[in-house]
Formats: sequence, structure tokens, C-alpha cells
Amino acid sequence: MQDLAIEIRNVVKRYEHHVAVRDLSLEVPRGTVYGLLGPNGAGKTTTIRMILSIIEPDSGTIRVFGKGHTEPGVLDTIGYLPEERGLYKKMEVRRVLRFLGELKGLDRRTADRRIAEWLERLGLSGNGKDWGRAKVDELSRGMQQKVQFIAALLHDPELVILDEPFSGLDPINAQALKDTVVDLKRRGKTVIFSTHLMENAERMCDAVCILARGEKVLDGYVADVKAGHGGVHVALSVAGDADGAAGVLGDSTLVHRVDDSNRFFEVELVPGADPQLLLRRLVTAGVPIERFELAQPSLHQIFLQSVGAGAVEEGMTGHG
Amino acid sequence: MGKLWVVARREYLERVRSKWFIVSTILTPVLLGTLVFLPAWMAHRSQPSSDVARIIVVDASGTRLGSRVATELNGGLFGDASLTHVVEVSPAGAAAAQDSARQEVLSERAKGYLLIDTTTVAGDTARYVGSNASSPVDMGRIERVLGEQLIALRLERAGVDPAQIRSITTSSVTLHAERPGERSAGGSAEVTSAFAFSVAFLLYFSIFLYGQNVMRGVIEEKQSRVAEVVVASVSATRLLGGKVLGVGAVGITQIALSIGASMLLYKLRAPLLAQFGLPAMPIPFPEVTAGDFVLLLTYFVLGYLFYAALFAAVGAVVSTEQEAQQVQLPVAMLLVVSAVFIQPVLLAPDSSLAATLSLIPFSAPIMMPLRLALVPVPWWTVASSIAALGLGCYAAVWIAARIYRTGLLMYGKRPTVRELIRWIRVAR
Repeated sequence: MQDLAIEIRNVVKRYEHHVAVRDLSLEVPRGTVYGLLGPNGAGKTTTIRMILSIIEPDSGTIRVFGKGHTEPGVLDTIGYLPEERGLYKKMEVRRVLRFLGELKGLDRRTADRRIAEWLERLGLSGNGKDWGRAKVDELSRGMQQKVQFIAALLHDPELVILDEPFSGLDPINAQALKDTVVDLKRRGKTVIFSTHLMENAERMCDAVCILARGEKVLDGYVADVKAGHGGVHVALSVAGDADGAAGVLGDSTLVHRVDDSNRFFEVELVPGADPQLLLRRLVTAGVPIERFELAQPSLHQIFLQSVGAGAVEEGMTGHG
Repeated sequence: MGKLWVVARREYLERVRSKWFIVSTILTPVLLGTLVFLPAWMAHRSQPSSDVARIIVVDASGTRLGSRVATELNGGLFGDASLTHVVEVSPAGAAAAQDSARQEVLSERAKGYLLIDTTTVAGDTARYVGSNASSPVDMGRIERVLGEQLIALRLERAGVDPAQIRSITTSSVTLHAERPGERSAGGSAEVTSAFAFSVAFLLYFSIFLYGQNVMRGVIEEKQSRVAEVVVASVSATRLLGGKVLGVGAVGITQIALSIGASMLLYKLRAPLLAQFGLPAMPIPFPEVTAGDFVLLLTYFVLGYLFYAALFAAVGAVVSTEQEAQQVQLPVAMLLVVSAVFIQPVLLAPDSSLAATLSLIPFSAPIMMPLRLALVPVPWWTVASSIAALGLGCYAAVWIAARIYRTGLLMYGKRPTVRELIRWIRVAR
């Protein structure tokens, strides 16, 4: 049997006027970086909150490392970075971290030692400066985000859940977060993150689950997902003026679908069409080609095709 | 138990370390100090001015009543006769004598002048003009002396032996007032009432204060969004429990500090008051037994629990403190209404109104201690009041926990009453 970090079976969560999650089942293998993808209102945050026992499913089961998710001690193995971040504003940074660490079952001495290490690693202390002694609201937004990461990782959790971790991050903190995820993976931890930014997911995830309207659209290892999404795809970059390309790419006997990003095109060919023919016609049309590559479909394409444009429920705001 | 303790400890330590706590802990003994100081000062004030006798007596009655009054004002036959100046004139010369007396007063050589004429002797009026004319204490003193001396004069005219007159006219009776069925320990009804009122008011005040403290704590966690991180580690119910416990412990700490400080002040009040040249008046206290104290603590704890739970629910329903000001109104009204009834219950602690109010959970924590301080209450009444309050607490905590759990992560639109009922009925 596969070693699973998370096993969700037939979970349903209803609210008064809508169903947030309907009959969801998914498996997150231990030691993977797992992406929970979907538009706003797809049920990502609801799913995450159910894993963390913040809300209870109406039906279905959730198991975390083989244990029921409400069993004592389970929460202590999970680190969580919520989408809406916040800390006690008037509290000293060290005290907030110690409090959150103790809530995860750390003893005070271990907590204090790790807090010192983390603050130094993230540049919040050292060089005569110690932000750990400052009140939270004296810190800049970027520094507060760092403190929030520390809070999620302080107890060295086996499973780390990050809800929209890249939203609102400056490029430096985003890089630090990516490095942290890679480091966690290297140390055998499981990371689940939700995002609607496909590029991050494409680069970081071993496996993904795409949700829309509270339902699973597809899931699995990224390689399998891409392989299962057949067809011949071409990644095309042009230098400068790409007027000539539009005509060639508009030929529906050759091109099934095209995603035009102005200088970059992701092209899906009609089944059976020859990519060499496309290349020849582009050259003939005088398109200044920079890159022409047979590629697998991007997660972004798969996402758009499988979810469709109407997937964002009207009137749904906030948490998905 | 472990995480509940972690939450409670944070609530406690963060509050005890705050400026608010330090300032109010210092202010309370200062306030109590004023309460010790004030009665002594007031008592001091209630003595007539030391120079009340430094006046001119214009006696136009032709009866020597003026010099009798002067002697008495000066402190009897052995007093300082130089203080009061007596001018005896004929009725016709009264106007001129008054004019010159007025000059003396205006130039501050005398405090005032007293005009005695035939209407005074008839038992009608006398006239006083002076800078202390608005002091009821000084005027009372002059009036009393005048009345006493008029009676003495009449007795003398009626042929009573002058030696007996003084003992006939002088009387001083102190009235000790008590109510039937009152606790005799501690003394007068006034003291018991004052004590009972203070107990009730302090209970009202501290339950309100710490209950709102819990509410603000909930709002802070909600507003700063830290609530979601915390409930990913500990259940919402336990977070609420820890918060209520922690704030309650702050309340008990602060009350204990205040009681300790006031007991210390009470012990040290004689030397302290002596610094200001004031005598240490004994402050009568009703006897408070250990049993009374335990009862009082029980009512504080249960009353606090009841209201803290309701205030926490209010905090979970709203998104900002401003919003909370409106939504807390029903909860605050329950407390305020209880406080409004303090006065009627104080006047009639055995009435059926008092008995009813001390059984209803929302007023019991204030009313029962109030009655206990005033009259003997049968033990079974106390027991049923505590039982009712206990049940009330259970219900309040149960309801609050459900509202809290759902409301903590809800932002934006405030739930309607119908939605609230749904939150309470549906576990999650």
C-alpha cells in the first residue's frame, strides 16, 4: 500500500446557499509537493480547512498519515500558512512564535532555540538588530510574512499546508518560500499548496489536483496528467513583429487551439497534423522564429481546457 | 488540558504585562486611598470654623441675651472672652450700630455680625451678616446657641434656679438607627447598606470590565486574522475556554491586589492621615467571614463566566469594535438592568422582587451578594440561586461556543438572528 500523507474520501461540505465541496476524493503521497489548483471559489480553502479540523465535513472521511484527522496529536504534525495572514499585533515577535510553537506541542526551550535559529536564518536578527524583541506591528509587511513562515514551520511538521502562499509576497520572499519548499521536499516532508498561479505549480509540483465548483476535475502526478492530455503541442516564440504568424495559426485544418500571449504561443495541433508543416509555413510567412519546440501541454493549458472559462461561480467571493 | 493552559497563560501574561493593567492596578489603591482620606476630611469639614465666635453681637433687645450668646460661643465661662464683641444699644441705635459692624466685617476685622432685637426675644427672627453666611455648619452652630440661650433666658425669667438652667438646656442624644432582622455585627444600618452597595457595584463593575475584555480579545484575534492560525492548532472551543480562564485570572489578580492594597492602607491610615493633621476616624466594617468570602468569589466567578461567554459570542459575530458597540447592547443591558435594581433591592432586600432577581441567572451574581450583605438569606435560597446561575452559565457557554466556532472565521456581513439560531443548532 502506498504511503499517503493525506487521504480524502467522498468528502462533502454544504453551506446554506451552496455546496462548497462535493464528493471530493484525493490522495497526497508522502514526500511530494502537491498542488491544489483551481479558480477562486473552487473549494480549495474549504478543503484545507477541513484537513485542519477548522471546519468539519458534512460527510466523508479525511485521514492524515493514516490517522483520522480529528485524532489527538494529528494537528501537531501539520504546519499551516493561511491565505489571510495575521499575528497578534501588540505582542512581541518572540512571544508570538513561542505561543504558536507551544500550541503545536513544542516545549519552551526547544521553541526558543528554534526561534533564535529561524530569526537569524531569515535575517530578522543579527548585526546588532533583533526584531524578535519588537512588537509585531513595528515590523514591515515583508518581515511579518517571514514571521508567519516561521510560525508555520517552527515545530518541524511532517506536512506543510500553504494556502495561496505566493499572494502578496514580494519577489525576494517568494524566492525564499520556493527555496523553503524545495528544502522541505529534500528532507522528506510533504507540502500541499493551493494556488491559482499555474506557473508556480508547473515548476514546483510533483502532483496536482484541479478543483472547480467544489468538484475534482482531474488529479495525479504532473507527468501522468500531461501524458494523459494527448495531442501534439508546440511552444512557439517569435522575435518582434508576429503579424504573419496569426494567419498561419488561424488555419483550422492544422491548428486545433492556440493560446496567444503576444510573443509566445502555445499551439495544440489538430490530431494527425504534422508539426514540420507548421514550421515550414511559418518560415514561408516570414515569421521571425526564436523558438519552435515540440512540448507537453502546460498545466495552464490543461487547466483552461478542463475547467473552462465559466468555472468561476458568479457572486462567489473570498475563500474557495 | 495542555493547549487550554497555553492559551490561558498567553491571555493572562499579555494582559498583566500591559500598560492598562499596570496603570489600573496603581490607580485603584490611589482611589481607595482617597476613599479613606475623604471621610476624614469631610468629618473635619463638618466641625464649625474655629473662629465662628469672632463676630460682633449687636444686642438691641435690652435683655443681655447678646452677652449670653457671646459667652456660649466663646466656649462657656472659661473660654476666650476676647473673640466675640458685644455691642448693646437701644432699639433706636440699632441702625447705626449695624453700620459700624458692617464696616468691621468688610475690613475683615470680624467674621460677621449678629443682630438680636425684640423679635428675637419673642422667638421669631435674628439677623446674621458675615462672610461665612453660606456655611450651614457655622450657621447651625450660631442658631443652636441662640436657641439654647433664649430658652435659658426664659427659664431664668420664669424663676428657675440659674444653676439648673445649664443642665436643662444642654442635651445631646446620638441616634443609632437599625432595621429589624439586620445583621447586628458591624453596627449601624448605614454601614451595612454602604458595604452592600459597594459589594454589588464592584461585582457589576468587574463583571462588565472583564467580560468586555474577553469580547475585545475575540475581536482582536478576528480582526488581525490570527484566529485561523490558532484554530489550526487548537479547537475553537478550547481557545474560547482558555481565553475566558486567562482573563478571569487577570480579574481575580487585580481584585486581590486591590483588596490587599486597601487592607494595607487601612492599617497604615492613622500615620498617613496624621501627615495631613487629620484624626484617624474608625471606619466601621461589617464582619466578613471566610464563608461569605467564598460565596462572593463563587458569584463573581459564575457571573463573570456567564457574561464573558455572551460577550465572546458578540465578539465572534462582529468584525470591528465599532460594530461591537451596537451588538453588545442586549448583553450589556442585562447587566445594566441588574445594576438599576440595586437601589430598590437595597431598600427592600426581602421583597419578592429581590428574591426573584437573585434567582434569575443574569441578575443573580449582583443581587444575591447584595441581599446576603443586608439580611440573613436561607441557605436553600442561596443554593438554588447558585444552581440556577450554574445552569445559566452552562447554557451561555454552550451557546457561545457554537456561535464563536462558526463566527470566528466569518467576515463581512453580520449574521441575522435566524442565521445565529442555525449556527447554534447545527454543530458545524
